[in-house]
Amino acid sequence: MIEETAITKNLVCKTPAFRLLPLGFCAGCHYGIIFRLIDEVLEEMELKGITVCIGGGGCSAMGAMAMDVDAFGGPHGPGTAIASALKRVCPDNFIFAIQGDGEQGAIGLGSFVAAAVRGENITIITMNNACYGMTGGQLAPTTPLGMVTPTTPEGRDQEMAGFPFHGPELVAPLRGVAYAARGTVHTPANRQRSKKMVKTAFQKQLQRLGFAVVEFICACPTNWRLSPVDCARYIEEKMIPEFPLGEFKNVEKNEG
Amino acid sequence: MTERILHTGNDTVARAAISAGCKHYFAYPITPQSEIAHYMARELPKIGGCFLQSEGEYAAAYMLLGAALSGERVMTSTSSPGLALMQEPLSMMVTAEIPAVVVETQRLGPGTGTGGQQGQTDYRFVTRGVYGGLHYPVLAPYSVSEIFEFVQLAFHIADKYRILTMVLTDFVLGRMTEYLELKTFDFGPLPEKDWALKGKAHKGGRSNFLFTVTGMMLDITGFFQGQQEKSKRIIDSETRWETYKTEDADFLIVSYGYSARMSKGAVNTARAQGIKAGLFRPITLWPFPREALQQEALKAGKVLVVEDSPGELVEDVELAVQGRVPVHFLGIQARHIARAEGLILPERILQEVRELL
Amino acid sequence: MPKKGEIIIDERLCKGCALCVMFCSKKCISMGKIGPGGIPIAHFSDPEACTGCGVCGWMCPDMAIEVYEYVARRPL
Repeated sequence: MIEETAITKNLVCKTPAFRLLPLGFCAGCHYGIIFRLIDEVLEEMELKGITVCIGGGGCSAMGAMAMDVDAFGGPHGPGTAIASALKRVCPDNFIFAIQGDGEQGAIGLGSFVAAAVRGENITIITMNNACYGMTGGQLAPTTPLGMVTPTTPEGRDQEMAGFPFHGPELVAPLRGVAYAARGTVHTPANRQRSKKMVKTAFQKQLQRLGFAVVEFICACPTNWRLSPVDCARYIEEKMIPEFPLGEFKNVEKNEG
Repeated sequence: MTERILHTGNDTVARAAISAGCKHYFAYPITPQSEIAHYMARELPKIGGCFLQSEGEYAAAYMLLGAALSGERVMTSTSSPGLALMQEPLSMMVTAEIPAVVVETQRLGPGTGTGGQQGQTDYRFVTRGVYGGLHYPVLAPYSVSEIFEFVQLAFHIADKYRILTMVLTDFVLGRMTEYLELKTFDFGPLPEKDWALKGKAHKGGRSNFLFTVTGMMLDITGFFQGQQEKSKRIIDSETRWETYKTEDADFLIVSYGYSARMSKGAVNTARAQGIKAGLFRPITLWPFPREALQQEALKAGKVLVVEDSPGELVEDVELAVQGRVPVHFLGIQARHIARAEGLILPERILQEVRELL
Repeated sequence: MPKKGEIIIDERLCKGCALCVMFCSKKCISMGKIGPGGIPIAHFSDPEACTGCGVCGWMCPDMAIEVYEYVARRPL
């Protein structure tokens, strides 16, 4: 007699409940992966009910608009200032801002560093796609040397455009900063590691330990003029050597 | 008997905000109104409020926006160069209909100005609204008591119409000391702030989204239609002005803020000398009291605009009067001394009135 | 051999970026189909090989893939 074996069908991975689908990002853009990853962490940490997401003024606004949490989107650059004030006024809410590399390292740099200096109890997620995606891929603070963009037609060189900017490393030494890390989602393994970074960063806010920033290196197929698959290789060969992955600061609870 | 205290204009701005239930203030130091920040830095922590000095006026206004997302009453204050840096965040707030109060203590001159001296050179700058074609109400007090009332009224108008509201003062009004009666004001009921972002658990799991990207709207003409209807409601019910001795006046002075105080002195002296002068004082600079001014101007037959500037208010007066009555202007050249500390004094205004009779 | 896994690709969400094709270790997905938008989209071309690991789902930028696994359990 062949033993009867019960077969059950489990749902391993479902489309998350977003407010707006399809997402507005280009095909193969890593923003979608990152927003889903953030959504998962918010779900697992049961934060969605108290979350207010401050979207940026570029592609990240579309993500903030799509996630099913209270969100504000639109202005380009001041996310850290907006998040700082909202968190101070509503300390029991979970406030995080999502911004691009231009918002963090150029127009919003003043607010980014000032919030870190003040040790604001907020979390910043920065999307480092080495260009201004929404406006056509212009030079960004994080554009690697040699990369061709509409505003560095001969490739970025230091005479005109200086050297690539590293946000997490810049603020890590500041005493107000509890966590600074950089991750990527160009492979499944990196995605899981980056998810842990986001979770750690969110925990710093809950433990009121101060400012936390997680930067994601992410692909921008449209402006890099590469297929989504080739973008993964570009990240390996060009981006990671310039922007090392890992944690630059991680203040434990007792370290104070 | 309500309590009476001696108070400066700047301190009154802060006290009035707190009386209106505003517990959160964000600002950057700038003469001539940093005293507002000093007051808030002392008082807000005592009532569990948030005082935060920002890294510049751009950030101060975005902090204002951020805090306002919670639905709380919030305020910032600045002066002319700072207000210039705030234009983008203010436009964002008007677009997303996020209410807040901005107090502008205007100071003389373009550029760095004179470091914070007397002047009324921001009239055009604050009355034309934000970039993108949207207006916001501007209230212009001319005394410490009016500052006390109008700051609280500004919070009411902001919440009633979900719109950024400004109170415009200046060096003289901010730094002068007058008796202040600590009256309480009840401006009437206000709508619920269900638009506020306090986490979706707050609203039974339904999440809110406020955004400033008008490009993503499906009907941009509908957006402007809605904004124009809102402006009309504000124009119809919030336009304010004062007429002083205009019933039988055959000469009308038009002025606002501190110049209107000087002009009132000139009207009183003129009346004592048998000259039937009157004063028309716009209190809301937007919405501008066009119709009321036109009627008074036609009745008087002759108009003199007094403003401590090269001539800005006079443009709106000419628009209202439409050439049907001669409109004269007395401005910054009429100051009693050429240095930045100069003022347009009542005697000089009276002299101009006599010459124009 | 009982089926181990299964995926459902939402044609309206898939933008044809082919990341899932790259990340699927068992090569179950290919770009062989034209979607409603008139562009090639992901297609569950080899269902037998699928183990229901879920990577394609997590790595899809447009959350277009739902993944199921079939678990055989001996009754107690």
